[in-house]
Amino acid sequence: MANTPTPYETWKGRCLLVVEDDYLIAADLAASLESLGVEVIGPAGSVDEALKLVENAGDRLDGAVLDINLRNERVYPVADVLTAHGIPFVFTTGYDASVVPSAYAAAPRCEKPVDKVQLFRCLARRESQK
Amino acid sequence: MPDKKTELLPSKEELFELVVESSEDFAIFTLDRSGIVTSWNRGAERLFGYTEAEIQGCSSELIFTSEDRASGVPAEELSNASANGRGADERWHQRKNGSRFWASGLMMPLKSGAGGFFKITRDRTEQHQAAQRLRENEQRFRLLATSIPQLVFLTRPDGSRTWPSPQWIVFTGVSFDRSLGFGWLEAIHPDDRDLTQRAWSEAQKKGEYYIEHRVRREADREYLWHQTRAKPIEGENSGSSDWVGTMTDINDLRALQSRQHVLMAELQHRTRNLLSVVQSIANQTIHSSTSLESFGTQFGNRLRALSRVQSLLARVEDQVIDLHAVVMGELSAHSDVEMDSSKIKVIGPAVALPPSAAQALGLALHELATNAVKYGALAQPTGKLEVTWDVKATKPTAEVALLWRESGVSMPSVPPKRSGYGRELIERALPYQLGAKTWLEFEPDGVRCAIVVPIPTESMHG
Repeated sequence: MANTPTPYETWKGRCLLVVEDDYLIAADLAASLESLGVEVIGPAGSVDEALKLVENAGDRLDGAVLDINLRNERVYPVADVLTAHGIPFVFTTGYDASVVPSAYAAAPRCEKPVDKVQLFRCLARRESQK
Repeated sequence: MPDKKTELLPSKEELFELVVESSEDFAIFTLDRSGIVTSWNRGAERLFGYTEAEIQGCSSELIFTSEDRASGVPAEELSNASANGRGADERWHQRKNGSRFWASGLMMPLKSGAGGFFKITRDRTEQHQAAQRLRENEQRFRLLATSIPQLVFLTRPDGSRTWPSPQWIVFTGVSFDRSLGFGWLEAIHPDDRDLTQRAWSEAQKKGEYYIEHRVRREADREYLWHQTRAKPIEGENSGSSDWVGTMTDINDLRALQSRQHVLMAELQHRTRNLLSVVQSIANQTIHSSTSLESFGTQFGNRLRALSRVQSLLARVEDQVIDLHAVVMGELSAHSDVEMDSSKIKVIGPAVALPPSAAQALGLALHELATNAVKYGALAQPTGKLEVTWDVKATKPTAEVALLWRESGVSMPSVPPKRSGYGRELIERALPYQLGAKTWLEFEPDGVRCAIVVPIPTESMHG
């Protein structure tokens, strides 16, 4: 047990994209990820911005945290691009599962308010499925 | 010539006498040409209450009701019988004691002897009343079935229709004849027909039919949701195995239900988001607090600012909030602030803010107001505060430019920190969340803050 790295440790020094339209939530999530040694890309508040960040980050990106509902749009185009690149991601949302279209139902979902331990577990599970 | 065979049989006269005498349920009597009673059997005695002796020689008018006597019914009956060879008599009659019964009788003219009439009649009151009740029930049913706003039908237990109401015919445009049997299915949405029919086999087990399905409206060929129920007709007189059913328009109800689902999901989303915002405010406040006590005060104040905007949100129906209400809410929340117009001026046109903008602006204004009360214009006797805004209409979005201007303030010799939660909200949260442009400066006589927020054009009043 002592040798198993904690979820936090696995992500130390790695690169996570944060997509969240509410500044307070985004800033809080980014700050707490950074305090754990994660390199945060973003946060991005819109689909366009997020796609730009994914493109710029290239191979550096190890994962993403995606808020489903971004003001007047849904985050799914970002999820599509990440899937195409084989980058694991987690949805964060206040909606329950029934609102997620079936094409994305398999992706892990963290309900808000987000628990970081759960977030890392979801990402790890997603990664091991690759 | 009577042969041997007929001689062995009783005479017609004897037979007649016996029939007449033994008939207790039938009143059998004869009248002369003018309607005077000439014979009266035991049945007649029983039925009308007069003995033969009492009534013989009296006019048969005695047994008619006073209304019928007045309108000449007895004489009419005699002349009808003479003219047609027989006359039916279906009406109320009157007994000796004045009580009435419904008689069903027949009168025929006598051809032999001096002529006159033969009449046979019996009491059919019960049957008459039952038939009348049935007629009334039927009338009542038709009245109900054709007047209520539901589509009514009669059906066999397997769903084969035997009677569609006029409303059904009008609503669906499927005629009476075409609706019979399973023809009515043509007005049901093709996707719902299987379920509709399957529900009928279920219904026979359960003794009740129930389904929600779409029914086509002839007027616009639209399918509207209906709730259809049917049950077997119960009652002594029914005798049939028919079921009666109704179809009720529940289209609006269904629409409301699905709207409610959307609203519930939206509510859940907002609540969870709000909890995340609260969590982030708590984290931020922890970072800037020097003691648990100062955390408590600040966190409490920020939560109240958040809750003021939320309650504004809950009150408006179209989900937009007036900027004036947000500004006034934050200023008047500080109970020690006097809304004195020589000290505080709030001027601006009506602007409707979308919820996300209202929340972010509300929190930023809360920080500005808190600082003004603690150190700025609202803390010093000579201080003045002006909050003004204007709308620049451009397409596709308009811009609201809000100016927070404190004056007459003697600023501390050491300029305030360039960081802090208020500054973060104004300089980072508003641009991030609303695409706003913001400026926050400490001028020698007080704080100036400018916030330019793009808002969707349609949320502007007027």
